[in-house]
Amino acid sequence: MNLALELDVNHLFFWDPILFKDTPFELNRVSLLMIFGSLVCITFFFFASRGKSLVPKGMQTIGETAYLFVRDKIAIDVIGPEGVKYASYLTSLFFFIFFMNLMEIIPGINFPVTSRMAIPLLLAVLTYLIFNVVGFAKQGFHYVTGTLFPPGVPKPIYLLLTPIEFFSVFIIRPLTLAIRLLANMMAGHVLLTIFFLFTHEFLVTDFKLMTLPLGVLTAVVATVLIVFEMLVISIQAYIFTMLTAFYIAESIHGHGDADHDEEGTHPEPTREYEGLEESTAAA
Amino acid sequence: MTNLLILAAKEAEPTGLDLILPAVDELVWGTISFAVVVFFMMKYALPKIRETIAAREDAIQEAKEAAESERSEAKRLFEEYKQQLGEARSEANRIIEESRGAAEQVRKDILAKSEKDAEAIVARAQEQIQAERQRTLQELQSQIADISIELAGKVVGRSIDAEAQREMVDAYISEVSGMGTNGGSNN
Repeated sequence: MNLALELDVNHLFFWDPILFKDTPFELNRVSLLMIFGSLVCITFFFFASRGKSLVPKGMQTIGETAYLFVRDKIAIDVIGPEGVKYASYLTSLFFFIFFMNLMEIIPGINFPVTSRMAIPLLLAVLTYLIFNVVGFAKQGFHYVTGTLFPPGVPKPIYLLLTPIEFFSVFIIRPLTLAIRLLANMMAGHVLLTIFFLFTHEFLVTDFKLMTLPLGVLTAVVATVLIVFEMLVISIQAYIFTMLTAFYIAESIHGHGDADHDEEGTHPEPTREYEGLEESTAAA
Repeated sequence: MTNLLILAAKEAEPTGLDLILPAVDELVWGTISFAVVVFFMMKYALPKIRETIAAREDAIQEAKEAAESERSEAKRLFEEYKQQLGEARSEANRIIEESRGAAEQVRKDILAKSEKDAEAIVARAQEQIQAERQRTLQELQSQIADISIELAGKVVGRSIDAEAQREMVDAYISEVSGMGTNGGSNN
């Protein structure tokens, strides 16, 4: 099989400058899509937050469900009652990543902005800053000692554990966070491109009866992959937000408590939160 | 300096490492985009959504409280009516009892009065009977005296002093009647 197909990865991720060439504000397709994605996100939430009806419908329902989902299922479930404070940032984070990812499967765009390192790294660094600042604010210097020397461990183990904790919490965390998102979106983009290129090759450029079934097969796989990527897009936004919340929770409660929280003492935070909400409603 | 870096990066053919290193211009635009989104979300959209949710929760809370107060008010009214009904019922019972007592009193009074009246009538009748008897007795006495005098005059054949005789007969009859009365009481 002789495929006249050359796939240069650089063509998938590097774009020529359009405006302000050779300045830090150089605009290329990626930057334009970032601006476009932000505008879509803003427009979406502009309409979603406009409704004031007591019985929500349409966009209002979506906006409220979106906010309540991040607040209840991420912020409060992971961080506890205090999580309400972080719900706004986490919601912004979730939907920013979601809309940036979403461009992967929008026809005509077909490029996830998050498959370039800028946004994943930026968001990971912000998460890193937030959880460290919160840690110092809530626990003082005990934040560092508590993280590096988790309580309840036999002393000799610290020889092994402390370097591991140091690398995993203070060095690798932002990198894994950024690379997880980047790699997922990159892989998805490459996968979709390959299958659509094959489909185009078999059904259009190099159409032969013999390769027709192959073309149909790649088209079907590409379509299935789009559905799969829809899942990846949401899951990656969810994981990034969830991990940010989890790191904040660790910084607030200390190492052990956060693990405890994650293992499922959900009823208590929820109950506490209900009380909190009632008092807010009463106020 | 930054420009030079960008220039250097652009001029060189992108390598594999460039795939996982952020481009400065994209970082700049990414930061601006995210800052704008976060600002819009945290200053405008999410507070509005929170407000709407809080307003709904307040409305539900108010409706719940209103329903509760209405229910307790209804319960209070019901209790009040029940109490009033009970009071009215006992009042009615009291009135009936009173009337029954009054009627009984009236009955007793009437009965007592009738008895008294009857006794008075009987007493009066007895008095009348007594008086009649007395009168009849006196009449009888005088007639007997007359008849006795007449009879005695006929027997003697001569006229006697009627006046003196009458006195004598009367005295006799009185004596006889006194005996008769005594004899009667003996019977």
